[in-house]
Amino acid sequence: MPEVPGLQSAPSCWTTVCQDRVAHILLAVGPDLYLLDHAACSAVIPPGLAPGVSSFLQMAVSFTYRHLALFTDTGYIWMGTASLKEKLCEFNCNIRAPPKQMVWCSRPRSKERAVVVGWERRLMVVGDAPEGIQFVLDEDSYLVPELDGVRIFSRSTHEFLHEVPVASEEIFKIASMAPGALLLEAQKEYEKESQKADEYLREIQELGQLPQAVQQCIEAAGHEHWPDMQKSLLRAASFGKCFLDRFPPDSFVRMCQDLRVLNAIRDYHIGIPLTYSQYKQLTIQVLLDRLVLRRLYPLAIQICEYLRLPEVQGVSRILAHWACYKVQQKDVSDEDVARAINQKLGDTPGVSYSDIAARAYGCGRTELAIKLLEYEPRSGEQVPLLLKMKRSKLALSKAIESGDTDLVFTVLLHLKNELNRGDFFMTLRNQPMALSLYRQFCKHQELETLKDLYNQDDNHQELGSFHIRASYAAEERIEGRVAALQTAADAFYKAKNEFAAKATEDQMRLLRLQRRLEDELGGRFLDLSLHDTVTTLILSGQNKRAEQLARDFRIPDKRLWWLKLTALADLEDWEELEKFSKSKKSPIGYLPFVEICMKQHNKYEAKKYASRVGPEQKVKALLLVGDVAQAADVAIEHRSEAEMSLVLSHCTGATDGATADKIQRARAQAQKK
Amino acid sequence: MATHLSYGRVNLNVLREAVRRELREFLDKCAGSKAIVWDEYLTGPFGLIAQYSLLKEHEVEKMFTLKGSRLPAADVKNIIFVVRPRLELMDIISENVLSEDRRGPARDFHILFVPRRSLLCEQRLKDLGVLGSFIHREEYSLDLIPFDGDLLSMESEGAFKECYLESDQTSLYHAAKGLMTLQALYGTIPQIFGKGECARQVANMMIRMKREFTGSQNSIFPVFDNLLLLDRNVDLLTPLATQLTYEGLIDEIYGIQNSYVKLPPEKFAPKKQGDGGKDLPTEAKKLQLNSAEELYAEIRDKNFNAVGSVLSKKAKVISAAFEERHNAKTVGEIKQFVSQLPHMQAARGSLANHTSIAELIKDVTTSEDFFDKLTVEQEFMSGIDTDKVNSYIEDCIAQKHPLIKVLRLVCLQSVCNSGLKQKVLDYYKREILQTYGYEHILTLHNLEKTGLLKPQTGGRNTYPTIRKTLRLWMDDVNEQNPTDISYVYSGYAPLSVRLAQLLSRPGWRSIEEVLRILPGPHFEERQPLPTGLQKKRQPGENRVTLIFFLGGVTFAEIAALRFLSQLEDGGRSKETYR
Repeated sequence: MPEVPGLQSAPSCWTTVCQDRVAHILLAVGPDLYLLDHAACSAVIPPGLAPGVSSFLQMAVSFTYRHLALFTDTGYIWMGTASLKEKLCEFNCNIRAPPKQMVWCSRPRSKERAVVVGWERRLMVVGDAPEGIQFVLDEDSYLVPELDGVRIFSRSTHEFLHEVPVASEEIFKIASMAPGALLLEAQKEYEKESQKADEYLREIQELGQLPQAVQQCIEAAGHEHWPDMQKSLLRAASFGKCFLDRFPPDSFVRMCQDLRVLNAIRDYHIGIPLTYSQYKQLTIQVLLDRLVLRRLYPLAIQICEYLRLPEVQGVSRILAHWACYKVQQKDVSDEDVARAINQKLGDTPGVSYSDIAARAYGCGRTELAIKLLEYEPRSGEQVPLLLKMKRSKLALSKAIESGDTDLVFTVLLHLKNELNRGDFFMTLRNQPMALSLYRQFCKHQELETLKDLYNQDDNHQELGSFHIRASYAAEERIEGRVAALQTAADAFYKAKNEFAAKATEDQMRLLRLQRRLEDELGGRFLDLSLHDTVTTLILSGQNKRAEQLARDFRIPDKRLWWLKLTALADLEDWEELEKFSKSKKSPIGYLPFVEICMKQHNKYEAKKYASRVGPEQKVKALLLVGDVAQAADVAIEHRSEAEMSLVLSHCTGATDGATADKIQRARAQAQKK
Repeated sequence: MATHLSYGRVNLNVLREAVRRELREFLDKCAGSKAIVWDEYLTGPFGLIAQYSLLKEHEVEKMFTLKGSRLPAADVKNIIFVVRPRLELMDIISENVLSEDRRGPARDFHILFVPRRSLLCEQRLKDLGVLGSFIHREEYSLDLIPFDGDLLSMESEGAFKECYLESDQTSLYHAAKGLMTLQALYGTIPQIFGKGECARQVANMMIRMKREFTGSQNSIFPVFDNLLLLDRNVDLLTPLATQLTYEGLIDEIYGIQNSYVKLPPEKFAPKKQGDGGKDLPTEAKKLQLNSAEELYAEIRDKNFNAVGSVLSKKAKVISAAFEERHNAKTVGEIKQFVSQLPHMQAARGSLANHTSIAELIKDVTTSEDFFDKLTVEQEFMSGIDTDKVNSYIEDCIAQKHPLIKVLRLVCLQSVCNSGLKQKVLDYYKREILQTYGYEHILTLHNLEKTGLLKPQTGGRNTYPTIRKTLRLWMDDVNEQNPTDISYVYSGYAPLSVRLAQLLSRPGWRSIEEVLRILPGPHFEERQPLPTGLQKKRQPGENRVTLIFFLGGVTFAEIAALRFLSQLEDGGRSKETYR
């Protein structure tokens, strides 16, 4: 703060003012006023200040920070804007004694200015008017400026000084003829069973002012502190409403509710003497917060229930606050707190057990937090907190319970960083679901870890598969690939998977052989299947080698025949094919020969084999080579209905007319029998 | 509005509108022009709920496919990544974002996770130093996508593999979430039945999630009466057999993806005179298949052998309708004729398409090999010679038929024999390795892990008991006017659908023995309803059952379920698959 010139001792008075959203200090030193901000100190002179001031005794800023009042040693009061740019009015009270307090009294209704000055036993309200109003105080008092008036406290009393609201004034003014006043009167007469009630009512109705009357009574009730008076006004309003067709009931209902809440909190046990306007300004939510802060949980809950606030905003929220308070009671055991909380909260919708648990954790009560989290149904909330509390294993089982795999992954990665590898793997071992998820993760992200996982579990079967995959994906050179396969084969032996081990060894043999073939013959052999290797050999005329390979790897005869047949037909080496067909009796019959020749559009060759086809497939073979007539003969000979219709379906009208007739006749004969 | 979604007993447009609204709300959060960068896998599923026009209305100006390095240039304010929560995709996104940051004007980045936000992925983005670049990071819970009036799908191709091979439950969690969304829109489903390990888990998750949601009490009158959760591995047989319904065959031969099929274009060339087949279209013909198309709705679930007669009947009706014009004499009559013209032309176009498709399929189904394969399948399913090496399979291997065909047959045989004798199994395996290559040892191993292929243990073949008790094989099948669900496989009644059928009548108690043989637990859970929401059943009103297949469903099974619901007269079943 900058230096203030001439400031030797404490200033006679000072206050904070707010200008352009910056706070300044206004400070009086003798007859001078200074405005201070963080950098500068400037002298200011209030405009229109009466001369002769030698010091300022009090200064007051209004509730809204817009106005400023200065009390001088001459008993003169200057009132102006807080910016010190404009004078609003002045007042001379002729009392030179320094006042104990000076505060602004807000007048929300008239927007007029009023300052309350207090001395030991005297209170004076001053403003525009040439005269002030004086009150005598019985005790030492303290003034508190508020939104809509000034609160006056003394050792034994508590009073509120405020401008009378319009509605109250209208009704209670002496000899008031306002509609509200008449309605109140009418209702009183009505209770006395006097006909005057009707007269009053008529008077209001003739002027068509009944709605205003009701409204005035409702409003006035709001500003009354005394329940009997509230009731009497509300009764009047209710009475007036009876004579109105369409008076919206909400304002009346809401006022009744508001008053009930206000009366409850004004009770001396609670001691929150809010005025109606203050309550409205504050909102019910803030009021509830204040009650919660004062730990008045039961009242807060009653209010919520009475006002039927949605549970999430109301009861649940308060219960949650209660629970958060409860967890701070260190003298109660974890068990008891957790049980008490659960008993009260149960499954109340909208209560977040994890929030409460977080609070408990914040107070250093981890065990309690864990107990509370047990009640949290949302794993998405539960798990991260458990992680934060370093209960990762518990978090893992909770995550697994939820079925949310993303959550499981999150915990897993957390665990992985937290634990050493051995412990991490052990944890996984007891959680099969987590383990399989982690395997998937490793498959895509950390192949080596995957291997370690299989190793740890002695899962030799999967290890074998792992090495096979490696031999295709990771290894380039043939030696490396064979070595990988060897590891795989060993693993398969350990897994007692004889078949896979043998197959793997065969593959190693084949790989080596294929490389040799590539070296000797050129061309591509590597990674062909055994079947394709043999085929390729035949296609490149290496029949001997093909035979050898087939023998070495024990290709079954039937498949070898198919293989050769297909390869030779592809080569269109018909001579070799014929030789092959005669090498011994075909294990696959001769129909495939017919078929394959026809596929290559060689009817001539096909016919050679058709004759050798066994009786069961003869018809089919003959039809394939287009010999419908002979097919018909065979079918008739077989007396097979199915074959006959097959042939018939191949008969084309013009050429095979005779054949068709022949079959029809044979059929007819067969049927006769 | 997608009208075909509102035909069923349950109006699925409610769901579709709900997911569309959610999408619009997200797009509007990112004010200004936008570009969407798509995880390619998601474009198909998204296409079913929002066309480009919807995106355009919300200022989406550009669309890209998510790829490494940098994004194509786009003059937009926002860049939205729509991705599945996968680590490898996070790496690509961060690459995109970093290179974009180097390029001039600052953009707003957003990320939309489908179907769920993932802590794991966000951690990865954080590690890569780009997490802070995203203004909105949200999730779009697109779990169940409405496909048809009675069909929802999760479009999760890998679900079977993840669940049964990798023991990864992620898709089960999504399934449970999807069912919760469904219940939020259509009311709590009072009864849950299930069979299988995964079914049990999904039911557990649902019950758990319900507890999490207490507070938002569901006050919707329940639309579904029952939910049946079925593990795919309870019935591995059905998907191995060749489907013989029209839709099933289209899928078998051409594959249906996100309700679309791509067909060879030659058959669909516009027939114009003098256009000597010069410019035949080379791009595959893409058709959407759903019940919005009247003709397709009629034939999709029929046995293929019954489709021809319907098509020719339709052809006659349509040409007769066109002939009507000669009878139209007065202006009024002509006007009426003209007003019907668009509808008739659409019908004619639809008929032409399906006639072409049917011809394409017929070429396959009339081939000798198709017939042989079917014969073998049917022998296995009816329990003939399942315990020895099958010579047709041998021949297929020897001739190097497509591996998938061979594997399907071998697995089918294994399933129909409660596993193969070790000797038989080893023989097949050896043959396959020698012919198709040693690397398939991994393929075979995976098949064994999922139980599709296995050695017979315990020595007893339980399939005949299952077959007889559940009447899986029906000798007298009427393909034209079916009386039993077995028409969809011309003799074999899908096990899964039989379970659903027996559940509704007379109840599973009658088949306890078989249920014990089938893998996994069977169970029943009740979800209590507030008294106000309990249904008072009108006489003659049928129950609505939601059947959820965990791990995929075949079109033939869907057809069989539709057939059942017609049989029960309106008791429409609704089935879902993933």
